[in-house]
Amino acid sequence: MSQPGQDAKFFQRGKIEEFRAELHAAEAKDKKFVKRKTVLKKIVANITMGTDMSPLFPDVVQCLGTPLLEIKKMVYLFLVSYGRSKPDQIHLVIPNFLQDCNDRNPLIRALAIRTMSYIPIPVVTEALSDNLRHALKDRDPYVRKTAAICVAKLYSADPRKAERGGFVELLRDLMLDSNATVVANAVAALSEIGDRQDGVIFKLNLATANKLLAAIPESSEWGQIYILDSLLRYVPERHADAEMMAERIIVQLQHGNSAVILTTIKALLYLMNYMENRQLIDYICKKMGPPLVTLLSSGPEVQYVALRNILLIIQRRPTVLKNDVRVFFCKYNDPIYIKLAKLEIMYRLARAENAKEVLAELQEYASEVDLDFVRKAVRSIGRLAIKVEAAADDCIQALLDLIETKVTYVVQEAVIVIKDIFRRYPGKYEGIIPNLCENIDALDEPEAKSSMIWILGQYANIIDNADELLDDLCYTFLEESTEVQLALLTATVKLFVYKSRADKAKELVHKVLKWATEEADNPDLRDRGFMYWRMLAINPTVAGEIVLSEKPPITTDSDRMDRGALDQLLLHTGTLGSVYHKNPETFIRNAAGKALKDSPALNAHSRAVLIPLARTQLPSMAPIVVTGPGPTERSMEPQTQSSSVAPSPPSKTDNDTDLLTQSQPDPISQNSSSNDQDEAEDDEPPHTRQTNNLDPYSNLDNAFGSYLADEPRPMASRRHAEEDDLLF
Amino acid sequence: MALDGIIILDNNGRPIIQSGFRSTTTAYPLLHIDAVNDALQKAERSADVDPVIYVSSYNAANVSSACCHVRVGDLRFLCPVSGDVDPLLAFAFLQTFIDILREYLGTVSAATVRDNFDIVYQLFEETLDTGGHPLTTYSNALRDIVIPPSLLNKLLSVTGTNFNSTINSGFGAGAAIGPFSSPLPWRKTGVRYNNNEIYFDIVEHFKAIVNKNGAVVSSNVHGKIEANAKLSGTPDCSLNFTNPQVLEDCALHPCVRLLRWNRDKILSFVPPDGRFTLMDYTYSSNPLPSPSPAQQSLSSVMSSRTNVALPFTIKAIVELEDSGGSFDVTLTSRYSTHALENVVADMHLGQGAGGIRCSVSRGSGGGGFINAGGSRNMDTFGASSGASWSFDAQRAVLRWEIPIVPPSSSWSMHGSFSTTNRIPRPSHAIRVHFDISSHTYSALKVGQLKVMNAKENYKPFKGIRGRSSGEVEWRW
Repeated sequence: MSQPGQDAKFFQRGKIEEFRAELHAAEAKDKKFVKRKTVLKKIVANITMGTDMSPLFPDVVQCLGTPLLEIKKMVYLFLVSYGRSKPDQIHLVIPNFLQDCNDRNPLIRALAIRTMSYIPIPVVTEALSDNLRHALKDRDPYVRKTAAICVAKLYSADPRKAERGGFVELLRDLMLDSNATVVANAVAALSEIGDRQDGVIFKLNLATANKLLAAIPESSEWGQIYILDSLLRYVPERHADAEMMAERIIVQLQHGNSAVILTTIKALLYLMNYMENRQLIDYICKKMGPPLVTLLSSGPEVQYVALRNILLIIQRRPTVLKNDVRVFFCKYNDPIYIKLAKLEIMYRLARAENAKEVLAELQEYASEVDLDFVRKAVRSIGRLAIKVEAAADDCIQALLDLIETKVTYVVQEAVIVIKDIFRRYPGKYEGIIPNLCENIDALDEPEAKSSMIWILGQYANIIDNADELLDDLCYTFLEESTEVQLALLTATVKLFVYKSRADKAKELVHKVLKWATEEADNPDLRDRGFMYWRMLAINPTVAGEIVLSEKPPITTDSDRMDRGALDQLLLHTGTLGSVYHKNPETFIRNAAGKALKDSPALNAHSRAVLIPLARTQLPSMAPIVVTGPGPTERSMEPQTQSSSVAPSPPSKTDNDTDLLTQSQPDPISQNSSSNDQDEAEDDEPPHTRQTNNLDPYSNLDNAFGSYLADEPRPMASRRHAEEDDLLF
Repeated sequence: MALDGIIILDNNGRPIIQSGFRSTTTAYPLLHIDAVNDALQKAERSADVDPVIYVSSYNAANVSSACCHVRVGDLRFLCPVSGDVDPLLAFAFLQTFIDILREYLGTVSAATVRDNFDIVYQLFEETLDTGGHPLTTYSNALRDIVIPPSLLNKLLSVTGTNFNSTINSGFGAGAAIGPFSSPLPWRKTGVRYNNNEIYFDIVEHFKAIVNKNGAVVSSNVHGKIEANAKLSGTPDCSLNFTNPQVLEDCALHPCVRLLRWNRDKILSFVPPDGRFTLMDYTYSSNPLPSPSPAQQSLSSVMSSRTNVALPFTIKAIVELEDSGGSFDVTLTSRYSTHALENVVADMHLGQGAGGIRCSVSRGSGGGGFINAGGSRNMDTFGASSGASWSFDAQRAVLRWEIPIVPPSSSWSMHGSFSTTNRIPRPSHAIRVHFDISSHTYSALKVGQLKVMNAKENYKPFKGIRGRSSGEVEWRW
């Protein structure tokens, strides 16, 4: 006899024949079907373990007539697992399906419908179609809600057939059902259909959106998530509509479920694009902070997702969490992924008012155990110096203290960031160079080494023994990595320009140029060597001007993402896209992209940076439009690639050129790449934002994908001064 | 928005049971299991594995996906997601599912899952649709469709016969009050108790980081109200507080009427049957709106919203030398009325630490009495009175445990350690965890609790109590 709770014994592999015999034996003298149940349990356990039980198909199906829910469930489980692979035998079950579809018990009706929808075989689909239509109007809400989801399955089996069958319209009607769970499931099914590339467009009009909002209080959390998520399919036509809707959903920020909170925030962020009331936008931003902080008291998994999203949100809406940097301080036993995410946020929230506190915290991290984390903490101190001028003095002091510790990797990181600080504040901190020179022997990583060499070359005029130090470093020239070799080449040329009379400098530059041009395998190194050599030979003065030309100041702010791209990413708040900081269609095949849709209510700033979405339309397929209940609105027009482009607001031409210049290589960085040949790191193409019209997100990775995106860059001219008003 | 399914792995990374995965190929779940096991193997600490793992497809025809995973006891729950899914949805769903399992099986472990695999399988079917939509997750509704094993066992053990069929056939006949006929998804109709009771636990958790000067760098108090309702019929409760201003950032159970709360600060709700979390909140000691940015001085900008006095102070003197170090730590309670219980202080001594010599003792102060508990006999323990230390060599963590720290008493631990590296690199922080019974930081007080019931007139027994815990990271 089988008793729940002691079923572990069933987890042993059985032979098909044995089961078959047992099933047949069970047909006789089976009081209360105990025997049959035991056998079926064994079979299900074997399915669980991955044993192929499909040969038992005809035998198991026999049990379907048993008037016992538990047995029915197990048989259906079996059918779901193997029905697909038995198209020739499935007709045996159809009569049972049909009978169960009309059972008195709503559970059985729903079970039958559900099971049928899992078996995408034409015979079954055919039988399902008729029954599904009834089930969608069943008097029992459990059946209706199950049926709603089944429509999505039917649709994925044969989209056109489902459309012809009028199922999409039936679903649409279900959105007005009296039962909140049914409404939510209808929305879920429609969303699933709408997300398919070949699916009908699912858009909401004002009337339906309002109806859905009314169902929120009575829905389960999953239902609320579906409904809130579907609000992104509603395009407000008037500011007032967006504002009213935001006011209605803002209470959901108090929900206990983290996914509901994040979906609400996503909806609010979306609606804010269509608002004009500054006060309300400000108020909403304030309201969003605390729930985000609350998410951080959950488990590390939820924290991680929350942190990645916060990082996105605060870039677009800096007022959110402006005063809450403390919340992101790391605990030493936080998992590393949490620590790194927090570190990025701390850096972004840092400003003059809280820089001291942030710096103290970063210093604390620099003495931690975790190597990777320590490095990033040290690097962040440098970034902080570059970002917040008022804190630069303290940061430099902190870095010097760290160099004092003589811990190799700390020293190396410090040297790397100090190089950037020199460039950010020319003529201010060169006094600390001797401290750096003391630690030259500790450097063994290419990046740190080349940074130090850059410093030696750039300030060879104020470092008395620069020639000796460079000479020492050159001993291993031929074994060094290309990065270091390039740095050495440039540095010795600079040294020569500064001290062209010194024999030592002359000798050194000659030696290095010879190596670079005659012994190096790397073509970049060779070419650069030849170029310097010729320049120095033809006109040393001009060569000096070029090599030591004024460098554009750098900033860490330029890494802030394009606002348009940010707006678009925020439509994916809470989703995988926001965790990986990429638009999903770039890494998930078949994912439908999302883009802000233009409407009279879209505020001008958002429109200016609008990125139209290229929806890959299947060529021969005309989009199918299903008109919603209530008056047909303009927004129900099919969405095609061109219709989502702004219908030329007055400033359109400006925008176009704006976007154009943005995607062209920065004039400044272009200069720096031709003039500023001394930049060792310039061996990469200086402009990563290549124009690529096919994929507007191709730059996302560089703009922001990894921590290294914070790399200081030449300050771009502030083209979009007005964009800095991030309230809109 | 779809979750592809759930996989439960055992300690060795082998799957015990998994949901259907019917809309994907059979290789798909295997791919995810491999990806997770790979990542776990590569990571030094299993806790450091990203909770969302990117799983690339094994051939061009397949869509790459991601795998969200959570560890529970000796199990790991995997939730593969493809498409642009909200990972929080996956985590929220996993959490809900684990809660359901806990309710069904008592403890969630490899053994209980194996023993009740048919129940788990049924729960998969009912909670997650193959299309990836969460279905029924309210345990009230679930219990109608999937019978909990305890109920069955109880019936079986009482009568010694098989009652399953009776229960099952009861469904067909009893469809009058069928499942999901209740208008409230979280509460079924027709609940009946002989003794009507409702209990509330106010549970607060204090988290803080203290710097080496003993100043609080960051702190907050997160609280929740856990309820256990055993009430007949469809009761309508309303709960108000005498000091609701201490509550901030409230997150409420869906049964609470949000409008009423926002307007009057009254929790008005029809409770689910059984245990549930009524609300989550943050304690705010200065509920005044923060001053305008202009007048914010450095300290006030940064002042966190909660200013809870630290329950204890720590004086730590750690001296590091070549290949080792010595430490002398004193913990003194600052409370004058409450005792700290189950105090656990962890010190991470860094990779390669060992050779611990350590002694723990009780210092002066606090008198001889013990406030809470009381049953502990101190004399037998002598001076150390139950304090103890242990060292986990694998994690290199020195743990100092004190069962009860009476008011204003002082405790100390001193000793030394050696390391295999020349330069010892311990974490410059001590983590202290503690509990306080019958105490809340916020002193949140319930004013009145009314239970209304239109049909039946009963006076339920009502109970409210508070307890607290805390976690402080004290840097040195």
